[in-house]
Amino acid sequence: MYQKTVTITAKHGIHTRPAALLVKKAKSFDCDIIVECNGKQASAKSLFKLQTLGLYFGIEVKVIAQGELAQQAVEEVSELLITLS
Amino acid sequence: MSIKGIVVSSGIAFGRALHLNLHHEKIDYRRVSPAQIPNEQRKLEQAFNKQKCHLEEGLAKLEVGTEHYDLIEADILFLDDESLLEVVVNEISQLQINAAVAIERVFSDQAAEMEQLEDPYLANRAQDVMCLGSRLIARLSGAQHLDLSQLTEATIILAHDLTPAEFAMLPLQHIAGLVLNTGGLTSHTAILARSAGIPALLSCRFERSQINDGDAVVLNAIDGELHLKPTAETVARLTHLRQQDEAHKQQLLLLKDLPTTTLDGHSVGLLANVGSLNEISHLTDVGAEGIGLFRTEFMLMNSSTIPNEKIQYHFYCDALHLMDGKTFTIRTLDVGADKELPCLNPTCEDNPALGIRGIRYTFAHPEILTTQLKAILRASNHGPIRLMFPMINQVEELDTLFELIEQCKSHLNEEEKGYGELSIGIVVETPAAVINLESMLPRLDFISIGTNDLTQYAMAADRTNPQLTRDYPSLSPAILTLIQMCIDTAKQHDVKVSLCGELASDPIVAPLLVGMGIDELSVNLASLLEVKSAIRAISYKACIEMAKRARKIKRIEELNLYLTGLSL
Repeated sequence: MYQKTVTITAKHGIHTRPAALLVKKAKSFDCDIIVECNGKQASAKSLFKLQTLGLYFGIEVKVIAQGELAQQAVEEVSELLITLS
Repeated sequence: MSIKGIVVSSGIAFGRALHLNLHHEKIDYRRVSPAQIPNEQRKLEQAFNKQKCHLEEGLAKLEVGTEHYDLIEADILFLDDESLLEVVVNEISQLQINAAVAIERVFSDQAAEMEQLEDPYLANRAQDVMCLGSRLIARLSGAQHLDLSQLTEATIILAHDLTPAEFAMLPLQHIAGLVLNTGGLTSHTAILARSAGIPALLSCRFERSQINDGDAVVLNAIDGELHLKPTAETVARLTHLRQQDEAHKQQLLLLKDLPTTTLDGHSVGLLANVGSLNEISHLTDVGAEGIGLFRTEFMLMNSSTIPNEKIQYHFYCDALHLMDGKTFTIRTLDVGADKELPCLNPTCEDNPALGIRGIRYTFAHPEILTTQLKAILRASNHGPIRLMFPMINQVEELDTLFELIEQCKSHLNEEEKGYGELSIGIVVETPAAVINLESMLPRLDFISIGTNDLTQYAMAADRTNPQLTRDYPSLSPAILTLIQMCIDTAKQHDVKVSLCGELASDPIVAPLLVGMGIDELSVNLASLLEVKSAIRAISYKACIEMAKRARKIKRIEELNLYLTGLSL
C-alpha cells in the first residue's frame, strides 16, 4: 500500500470539471485508489463519491493505493491533484 | 406584459420563444412487487444509457479539451459511475420502489450532502446533480432527445433549469437569449452564458402557459425583464436601448482592457462602487480593477431579518468567487440617517445625520457587527478582502474595533472555523477623522475618502434637504482642502488613499483628484469608462498643474467654471 498527502491548490476547489479529470486519470490504473479528506474516503474512480468529499482550496488530501502499480498511481494522482486549477 | 428575473448576463435580445421541457413531470410513487424489481432495474439502466447516448452525441460535435467538452464529459463520467448505478439499483430492491422514486431519493441525498460542504462554490454544484437526476427521471417516462439542430432563427430559450452540459449542447449561433425559472448569478449555467455573451435572465417566474413556442418575445437583460407580447412602443424603446447598449459596448471594447494611465504613464487604481452580486458580475464588462466600495447594507435591504453568519459568509464567498482575486473592499453595515432598513427598528432622532449611524449603530448593536465580522473573516480565507468601517472619528474607535476582531477570531478558533487576514481601513467622512488621521494611520492599511458625507459634515448642510442644494456643493474649496489634508498625511505614513464619493465618478473632477495625489478612485459602474477615458486623455503633469490652479481658487462658482472650461 502506498500513500501520499498533498494540498489542494485549485482556487475554487476540485469541482466538477477537475474532478472528472481526476477520475479519468484514476481509471487508467487497475489498482484501487482512495482519496481521503475531511475524515471521509472515496474511490478516486467514482465522481459520485468524490463530489461529497469537499476538496476545497488549501485542504490536505491523502491519496492511498493498493495493488498493481500502486506507487505510480499515487504519484500521478497526487501530481494531478496539485496541478488542477 | 413583463416578468422580472435576475440578470446574469447582460444585453437585449429579440427572438422566438422556445420551451425546453427537460424537467420531469410529477413523479409517480409506486411500490413494486419483488417480481417487478428486475424490470424496474432494467428500466433504470436504460434511462442511464439513453441519457449517456444523448450526451455522447453532443460530445461528438465539440472539440476535445474545450470547457464545454469537459462539462459534458463530466456528466458522462458521473452516469458511468458503477457505484452510483449500484446505489440506485439497491434502493429499488431494498425499498421496493419504482425507478423514478429511487433516482429522486439517491440524487436528493447526494445533493443534500454536497450542500453541506463548507465551500459555497462546491456546494452550489448540488444544483447540477439535481438537474441531472431530473433528466434521468424524464427519460424513464419516455422523454425523447431534444433536437435543436433544425433551429434557423434567433431563439430565446425558456426552461425550468438547464445543466451546464445542456447549455454546452445548444446551437449557440441561433440562441439569442436564455430564460430560466431557477438559478442565480453563480450557478454554472450563468457563468457559461456570460462567457458566451448570451443575454440571460435567471430565477424568472414565468409560467409555461403564458408563452407559446414561436411567440415573439423580447429579453431585456439590462433591467431584468422578459417581455411577452411586447407593444410596438416597447420594441422601439428596447431597440433603441440595444443600439445604445451596443454602441456603449463598442466603446467598452476599446477601453476596458487598457490600463488607467495618464499620457505620461502615471497609473491610478480605478475601482467600482457596488452593492450587489449582480453588479459584481458586470465588473469585467467595464474592466474594473476591483471594488473600492462594497455596500453591505443593500444585501440587507430586502430581507426582513439580518442574515445570519452562514448566509453572509456564503454571500461574501460568492462575491469573492466573482471577483476572482481582484481588490475587494467591503464596508461594514452603514445604516442610520438616510439609509433605513426594514429589518432594523428605526430609531427616532431629531438629527439622524448627526445621530446613531454608521459605526455608532453597529457599536450599539454589537451582535450585528460581530456576525458580519465573523462572516467576513471566514470568507477572507477564500480570497483577499479589504475591510473598512464607516463614520470613524478617532483612534479609540479603532481600539474597540481591533479588539472586536480579535474576539471574533478567537470565537472562530473555538468553533474550528478557518479565517484569513484582512486589510483594514476606514472611510474618512467626518472633519474630525481628517484632523485625527495622523493618530489612526499607523494602524491602517488604507483609507477611503467618502466625499458625500464629508461635504455634508464640513458644510453642516443636510444633503437630503432640497432647500440646501446651494449649501451642499459637491465641489468646493473646502472639500478640496480636506481631501488634500488626507492625501498629504496618508502619504507621510505610506498609506494608500482611495476616494469613493460621487466626486470620483465625475470625469471632469477625476483628473484634478489624480493631480492632488489620490492613489485610487472608486466610481459607479456606469461612469467607470468615462473616468478612465478622461484620465487616459491627460498627462500627469497637466493634472498636477490643474490641482495647483484649482487649489488657489476661493470661490465655488469659479472652481466649477475653471474645471468645466478645461473640459470644453
